[in-house]
Amino acid sequence: MGPCGRVLWTLLSGPKGRRGDTQARAFSLWSTLHRLLNPTELVSHWTGVFEKRGIPEARESSEYIVAHVLGAKTFQSLQPVLWTQPLTPQQLQSVQELCSYRLQRMPVQYILGEWDFQGLSLKMTPPVFIPRPETEELVEWVLEEKAQGLHAMGAHGGPRILEVGCGSGAISLSLLTHLPESQVIAVDKEEAAISLTCENAQRLQLQDRIWIVHFDVTSERSWTHLLPGGPVDLVVSNPPYIFHQDMGQLAPEIRSYEDPVALDGGEEGMDIITKILTLAPQLLKNSGLGDSTLQVLALPN
Amino acid sequence: MSTLGLLRGPAALARVCSGPQGLALGEKWRLLSPGGPASVLQVAGKKDLPALLPLEESELEEQFVKGHGPGGQATNKTNNCVVLKHVPSGLVVKCHQTRSVDQNRKLARKILQEKVDVFYNGENSPVCRQKREAEKKKQERKKRAKETLEKKKLLKELREASRNPVETTAGSDRVSRDASRE
Repeated sequence: MGPCGRVLWTLLSGPKGRRGDTQARAFSLWSTLHRLLNPTELVSHWTGVFEKRGIPEARESSEYIVAHVLGAKTFQSLQPVLWTQPLTPQQLQSVQELCSYRLQRMPVQYILGEWDFQGLSLKMTPPVFIPRPETEELVEWVLEEKAQGLHAMGAHGGPRILEVGCGSGAISLSLLTHLPESQVIAVDKEEAAISLTCENAQRLQLQDRIWIVHFDVTSERSWTHLLPGGPVDLVVSNPPYIFHQDMGQLAPEIRSYEDPVALDGGEEGMDIITKILTLAPQLLKNSGLGDSTLQVLALPN
Repeated sequence: MSTLGLLRGPAALARVCSGPQGLALGEKWRLLSPGGPASVLQVAGKKDLPALLPLEESELEEQFVKGHGPGGQATNKTNNCVVLKHVPSGLVVKCHQTRSVDQNRKLARKILQEKVDVFYNGENSPVCRQKREAEKKKQERKKRAKETLEKKKLLKELREASRNPVETTAGSDRVSRDASRE
C-alpha cells in the first residue's frame, strides 16, 4: 500500500473502537476499490459504520455529512453528476472528522453548525435548542392567521410579536421574513440563546426589526420595560414541556448536547406554559372583543 | 387507515380555541391554483406554469418518515424526506431537496402537481409544452453558437492566408482584403 492507500485506510476506519472489525472492513473495501470513493459509496460506507455502532438515522446522518462537505444541503439536492465523482483526500478527511462526532451521538445540526427552518439557514451551536420540524407548522399557523386577518393581526401593519424562549431565533426570524411589516421582541433566559439569535438575525439582515432580550419569564422582574411599545398582538412560544421525570429517558443526542432548560417543563411539564398564560393578558393588546379572548394553538406530542 | 402507516399531518393537529373561528383542518395544505388567497405560501423560484390541474388535498397521502413514536421536543429527527402520493393516479413523489420538512412538503406538492397534470393531459400539459420550448431554444442556441464558431474559423483561416508569403494573384488579393475589412 502506497502513501495514498494508507491515508485512505485511516480515513475509512474511523475511531479505533472495535479495532479488528473496522480494520478488516476498511482493508477489504480498499482492496476491492483501489481508488478514492465517490459520494454514493462513501454514504454507504458510513451508514454501515453508524448502524454497527447503533447510531440512529444512520443513512440520513451519513448523507447530510457527505452532502455538506460537498457544499449541498441534502444528498438528493447534490448534482447527480457528482454522485459518481471521487472525493478529494481533503474532503474525505472532513467527512471522517464530522462522522467521528456523529459516533459520539452529537446531533447532525450541531455537527454541521447550521440547519434550515422554514427555508432560512440558521447557525446552530450547542447547547442552544435545535428547532424541531413540528415548529415549522406552528409558524405556518401564525402566517395563516395573518393572511386571514383574524383577531388583532389585521390590516394595519405589524403585527408586533413577543417570542418567549427564542433559542436560535427560528420562530422569530421566520415570522419576520414572512411578515415584512412585523416586529419582534425575542426573549430567552440563556445567554447563549441570546447570542445565537443575535447572530442569526444579523446573518439574515433582520436585526433592525428584532429586539433580543436576556430575560427569565419565571422571575419576579417587571415586564413593562420589556415591551417599550406597549402590549403586543401575539405571543408565540415553543416552551419546554417535557415532564421532569422523563428527562433521563431522552436520547443521548438530546440529553448530552441540548440545554435541559429548554426541555424541562417541571413536574407537570407545564411550568413555563402556565407562566406565559398567566402573563398573557398583560402582554397582549385587547383585541377589542370585550372580554379578551385568548386563542391558544397547541401541537400535540 | 392504509398500509403505509400514514400520519395525516393536518388531522393530527389539535386546536384549543376559545374564539368562534376555526379553520377547517384540511384547508391548511390545499394547493390552490395561482392567484388564490394562500399564494403567500407558494414556493418561490421556478416560474409558475399557467393553470395546472389543482391538487385536492383529500386525494393526497403523505408519509411522514418521522412519524413513529413521540415527536416534538423529545426527539430530534433529521429525516425530512417527504413522500407524497396522489391516490387517484397512483403517482408518488419523494422529496428531500431541502432540510426543512415544510419546504419539502411544498416542493413535493408542486412536483406532484406537474406530474399529475402530465398524467392526465399528456402532451397538452403546460409542463410538456414548456419542456419542448426549452429544448427548442436550447437547440437554436446550439445552432447559432456553431454557426458563429464556423464563421470565426473561416475568418481566421482567411487572415492567416493573407499573412503568409504566398504567390498572390490579383484574385486572392481581393479576397484577403475583403476578409480583413469584415
